Amino acid sequence: MAEYKLLTQHIGADGLQTRAGYERLGGYQGLREVFRRFTPEQFIEQVKLSGLRGRGGAGFPTGTKWSFLPKDVFPRYLCCNADESEPACFKDRYLIDENPHQLIEGVLIAAYALQVHHAFIYIRGEYHDQRLLLERCVEEAGGAGYIGRNILGSGFDCEVIVHGGAGAYICGEETALIDSLEGYRGQPRLKPPFPALKGLYGKPTVVNNVETLSNLPHIVLRGGDWFKGIGTERSTGTRVWCVSGHIERPGCYEMENGRPIRELLEEEAGGVWQGRRLKAFQPGGGSMQVLLPEHLDLPLDMDAVMKAGSSLGAGAMMFMDETTCMVNVSMRLVDFYHHESCGKCVPCREGTYFESDLMHRLEAGTCKPEELATLSDICDNMNGKCFCPLGDTATWFVMSAYQAFREEFEAHCGAGGCPVRGGARTAALVGAS
Amino acid sequence: MTAAPPPGDGQVGLVIDGREVRVPKGTLLLDAASEVGIHIPIYCAHPKMDPVAVCRMCLVQVEKLPKLQPACATVVSEGMVVDTQSDATAKAREGMLEFLLLNHPLDCPVCDRGGECDLQDFAFRYGPDTSRFPITEKVHFDKAVPLSDKIELDQERCILCWRCVRYYDEITGEKEIVLQQRGVHTAVATFDGQPLRSDYQGNLPEICPVGALTHRQYRFKARPWDLIRTKGVCPECSYGCNVFVDSRDFEVKRFASRDNPMVDDMWLCDRGRYSATSWNSTSRLRRPLVRDAAGGVRDVGVADAVKEAARRLLAVSERGGGEVIGVLGSPDCTNEEAWLLQRLAREVLRTPHIDHQLAEMLRLGPAEHALGIAEIESCTAVVVLGPEPEVNAPVLTLRLHKAATKRGVAVHRVAANAEPRDITARVGDARLVGVVADETNRARAAAVASALAGGGTAVKRMTVTRGGNGRGVKDMGLLPDLAPGYRPAVPAGMGGRAILESATSGSIQALLLLHAGGVLAGLGALVESALRIAKVVVVIDTKPGVLADAATVLIPGHSLMEKQGSVTNLEGRVQRIRAALPPATSVPSELRVLSMLAGALGAEGWGSGDLMEVHRALAADVPAYAAAGNGGRARWEVAAA
Amino acid sequence: MTGRVLADDRRVDVALSEQTRVEISRQKERYPSARSAILPALWAVQHELGYLAPAGMEEVARILDLAPSEVQAVATFYSMYFQKPGGRHTVMVCVNVACALRGADDVVAYLERALGCPSGRTTADGMFTWQSTIECLGACGYAPMMQVDHRFYENLTPAKIDAILDRVAGEAGDDGHATMQAVAMPKAPPSVAPPPAEAEGPPSDARMPGTVKGESVPGQKRRRRGRPEGNDL
Ligand SMILES: Cc1cc2nc3c(=O)[nH]c(=O)nc-3n(C[C@H](O)[C@H](O)[C@H](O)COP(=O)(O)O)c2cc1C
Ligand code: SF4
Ligand code: FES
Repeated sequence: MAEYKLLTQHIGADGLQTRAGYERLGGYQGLREVFRRFTPEQFIEQVKLSGLRGRGGAGFPTGTKWSFLPKDVFPRYLCCNADESEPACFKDRYLIDENPHQLIEGVLIAAYALQVHHAFIYIRGEYHDQRLLLERCVEEAGGAGYIGRNILGSGFDCEVIVHGGAGAYICGEETALIDSLEGYRGQPRLKPPFPALKGLYGKPTVVNNVETLSNLPHIVLRGGDWFKGIGTERSTGTRVWCVSGHIERPGCYEMENGRPIRELLEEEAGGVWQGRRLKAFQPGGGSMQVLLPEHLDLPLDMDAVMKAGSSLGAGAMMFMDETTCMVNVSMRLVDFYHHESCGKCVPCREGTYFESDLMHRLEAGTCKPEELATLSDICDNMNGKCFCPLGDTATWFVMSAYQAFREEFEAHCGAGGCPVRGGARTAALVGAS
Repeated sequence: MTAAPPPGDGQVGLVIDGREVRVPKGTLLLDAASEVGIHIPIYCAHPKMDPVAVCRMCLVQVEKLPKLQPACATVVSEGMVVDTQSDATAKAREGMLEFLLLNHPLDCPVCDRGGECDLQDFAFRYGPDTSRFPITEKVHFDKAVPLSDKIELDQERCILCWRCVRYYDEITGEKEIVLQQRGVHTAVATFDGQPLRSDYQGNLPEICPVGALTHRQYRFKARPWDLIRTKGVCPECSYGCNVFVDSRDFEVKRFASRDNPMVDDMWLCDRGRYSATSWNSTSRLRRPLVRDAAGGVRDVGVADAVKEAARRLLAVSERGGGEVIGVLGSPDCTNEEAWLLQRLAREVLRTPHIDHQLAEMLRLGPAEHALGIAEIESCTAVVVLGPEPEVNAPVLTLRLHKAATKRGVAVHRVAANAEPRDITARVGDARLVGVVADETNRARAAAVASALAGGGTAVKRMTVTRGGNGRGVKDMGLLPDLAPGYRPAVPAGMGGRAILESATSGSIQALLLLHAGGVLAGLGALVESALRIAKVVVVIDTKPGVLADAATVLIPGHSLMEKQGSVTNLEGRVQRIRAALPPATSVPSELRVLSMLAGALGAEGWGSGDLMEVHRALAADVPAYAAAGNGGRARWEVAAA
Repeated sequence: MTGRVLADDRRVDVALSEQTRVEISRQKERYPSARSAILPALWAVQHELGYLAPAGMEEVARILDLAPSEVQAVATFYSMYFQKPGGRHTVMVCVNVACALRGADDVVAYLERALGCPSGRTTADGMFTWQSTIECLGACGYAPMMQVDHRFYENLTPAKIDAILDRVAGEAGDDGHATMQAVAMPKAPPSVAPPPAEAEGPPSDARMPGTVKGESVPGQKRRRRGRPEGNDL
């Protein structure tokens, strides 16, 4: 079992979603203390010391990202990335639903460290109730003097604006998020210039994930050094893992970095369901490469998983049992990227379309064997050539699955239907059909 | 946008395909490659627009970088080693072309852009040989939707390079065409399908790299390889946009843009662009004729017509002196024609009554033309008096937009009759202010300029002259009070309106009218009575009409599409025009006719009226023109405003 | 802005209520730049009209000082804005992998029968427009799921689906959520893992937020061919 619970330790406590309930459990002490203990520069040093890496997917060290902001250029902006749309990812929603004030406190601490007077929380349009909840919490926090002018007498001013999206995965990409927030089509921007130099409204901007920011109150209160002691050398702290798929107890589980993946699956999530065997899993959300049962003993460590050819990404673990058709899974993911491609660049817009067409024919069993080579080739023509990582990642799962389950792909060719029939139909709806 | 690098410094050295290149810091890889003649295929990149790097056609290999880089958006750096021909690059290009052709209708045989389509070209050069896409179903869009009376859009041919969208965003600021929908359903479209209303739509087919946006007017008219291109200058206003006159079968088929960064910056307005086919009118004067006192008309050869004209002009001037003759040219004259005409008037006919227009514009001076078009971008602020400058020189609007959005110039559009004091207050502190006004607002512009200068600001004026060569004919002294080069004319004569009025009252007895049909059109009674009462009316012109009907001697002229010479735009840029069409008449050039006339009037040493001969004489007379050469600006010493 | 903006003299038929226009203006004040209010403004329009009618977009453009074309460019980019009117309530079923692994296709099949029309269509009585979406809706831990209007329903079973549809349909006429502001905050937040055993919908005082008197519909026009929706895994 996990030793540490930071972000989720109080979840389930009565009234945690209210300011009073949160305060009762020590909430907003981090904000008080950050003003008392640290200058902004000092706190950035603490974050660097903590080794905190971004939880949004790329795992970039947060303190380092913060220190890229040019000195003396103001105003600056902070955007909390709550666009969470990576397939199999639902931790940000969980953290907002269960502990919204922790996020708001984290936002305010980051705003102080970065000397930002306008912080935005960009939340995906589908999270409508979560948006309303955050808006209510922002209002509550404002009423208590945590937001607005001269926060807690510190002389620091900050407004927090909750901004709802309207359905577009790509708006999770930080420059697309900025364009969307500025009121444009949410499409990625050309980099350089990076947001740290020219971001929202052309000003220095930091984009951080919900979970990243939710860590900050804890770092303030217990110090970067303490945080660094949790997890592994280069993956410090805990993460809130989204566990889904063919398992007994899907859900969000907080667990420190460094534990074996097996522990997460077997102890937290109750193992593969219905006593079945694991066939494969995807360790970082829909974008990441497939891993196999032999990888279960890998530690929850970004570098270790990277070495094994995949990535922990946004911390979403999706497990698939022995009955799963990898072609079908690939097809659905490809469909997702096809649907969510913003259409800006040619290889992603047309490539996902090509891919999707081919995958549908493959799943339907009408594909010719030589088209599998075409599939690899189109993926090669996309990967690394797209404008932003969306198009690149649209090829990663399917290519890794093709490599790992080549016979299964080949068996689909000309089969006239999916040859992998099995128990994906769930207990939940037995009797429905 | 980056400031010009300091000389000696600011150069960056790199190697492209084994060749060393040194280019200014901040140069894009694409431009650095083309410096040394290396072609990198592009669709989305456009020299006048910011890079977006969406088509990924220009991906090239840069040493030490794991991914291919878009040359159109990659800034060169010292020591960069670039390979535009590597296997990876070639494969990426082939891949992009395959992607682009997935949803393309492949209808080149019926496409207007066949032969000038980058998709077609690159598919031949870099594309895959066969299609591997079994096409369950292509994404279908509407074909050939009219976007306006001028432009048609075929969305299936569109490759979403964003150029038209960026054109409306960056170049005109009108945002008429935008991207709609997302992903593979993305399409360029107008709001709710409403028609385009821009005055600059004609540029769209030219920036579209494929056949998605086409001219409705030009549809199926000609294939590009059948066209004959002639470099010309748009005659529609005095802004002087450079064009290619594309003709075929002795007809002008279209005007195409011919980028001159100092003038048009490659954009044309619709008024100018779509005036192209008006030059194909067959309603033309073709044979000289002479009318006797009783109204009888005689077809004559040109020599006889000239002789008859000379005889009649001499007859009136022998009695009344040269001053009974009025001479009118127009902004439709070339510089050479204008210069020769005023010389004929002043030196041979000995009349001071010369003009090219009816409005009286006394004491014109070079100060009102000090501001160059491109210089607008280096002003701190620009004041535009009233809507007339932009109505009369529409492409000016685009330059002002560029200055405002890309160079941070404050553009103040004010009412023509705004108080100079208020304007000065609005402009505030500024290093250099441009004052732009129509020539009919000269006086107000002068007042504004002096008010601004009074505050210690440097001021330069731009005057939008009317008519194609309105500026040139003024430089050439087709003015009652000024000889060529703005030298005072001694004695000064009457202006255009006074000449006509005097003809009505009888003090002017003869009129010599060179291409004056345009300026006199629509003046009705005044012109009619002047023509009726004048004893001698010598008309050299191109089209039938009141002048031709009243002429006592009529000599057909050549249209601006049929002759050579030079014209000067509103900023004083002297630009050559060339014959794009064969002449509609066998009469020799106007220069030759004027020289013959001088000879017939007894003048000596006029030569044959050869263009170069006249131009050399003109340049000797007006040194600013000698200095300007072909394409430069004629400048005079200007006393500080 | 410089240049002659073409759209300026185009008059729009006022399509929005005073309340919605006030709301848009209020949103405009929240941001350092007015243009940022475009998404909230479009939400307000959709909540009033049920979809983004051109006149509504023109009105947004006018209030935010944009060209109408810019508003439509943005509006059509996001999949939650409806470009056409549809049924009174919107049902979205996630069929992305995590949900598919737990029976999303069965939900799709069940809904197809329960509502009597295929995905992407509106029921004959105009009550529901439903659609299976391939954007993951962030409920993977509680799959299979669906969203009705703006609310999550998770760990679905046939009985649950029937109950939810019945209740939502029964609310016809008094949903009272012409704008976001009228939406009451749920007392308890939506449930989270592990799934509650009870098969009821959201707390009884929670209304279906957001949608709409009249119509709302997944309008994103997909020219792509229809896909066979239910593949076995
Ligand atoms: C296509 C794409 C989608 C993304 N979606 C999200 C997202 O939903 N949430 C998120 O926090 N980061 C997302 N990211 C990562 C962000 O670009 C960015 O790296 C992150 O928000 C930074 O926050 P962090 O440093 O705290 O991780 C996405 C990136 C890409 C390329
Ligand atoms: S890869 Fe290209 S089309 Fe795909 S989301 Fe990124 S920019 Fe848009
Ligand atoms: S020309 Fe470089 S990406 Fe299009």
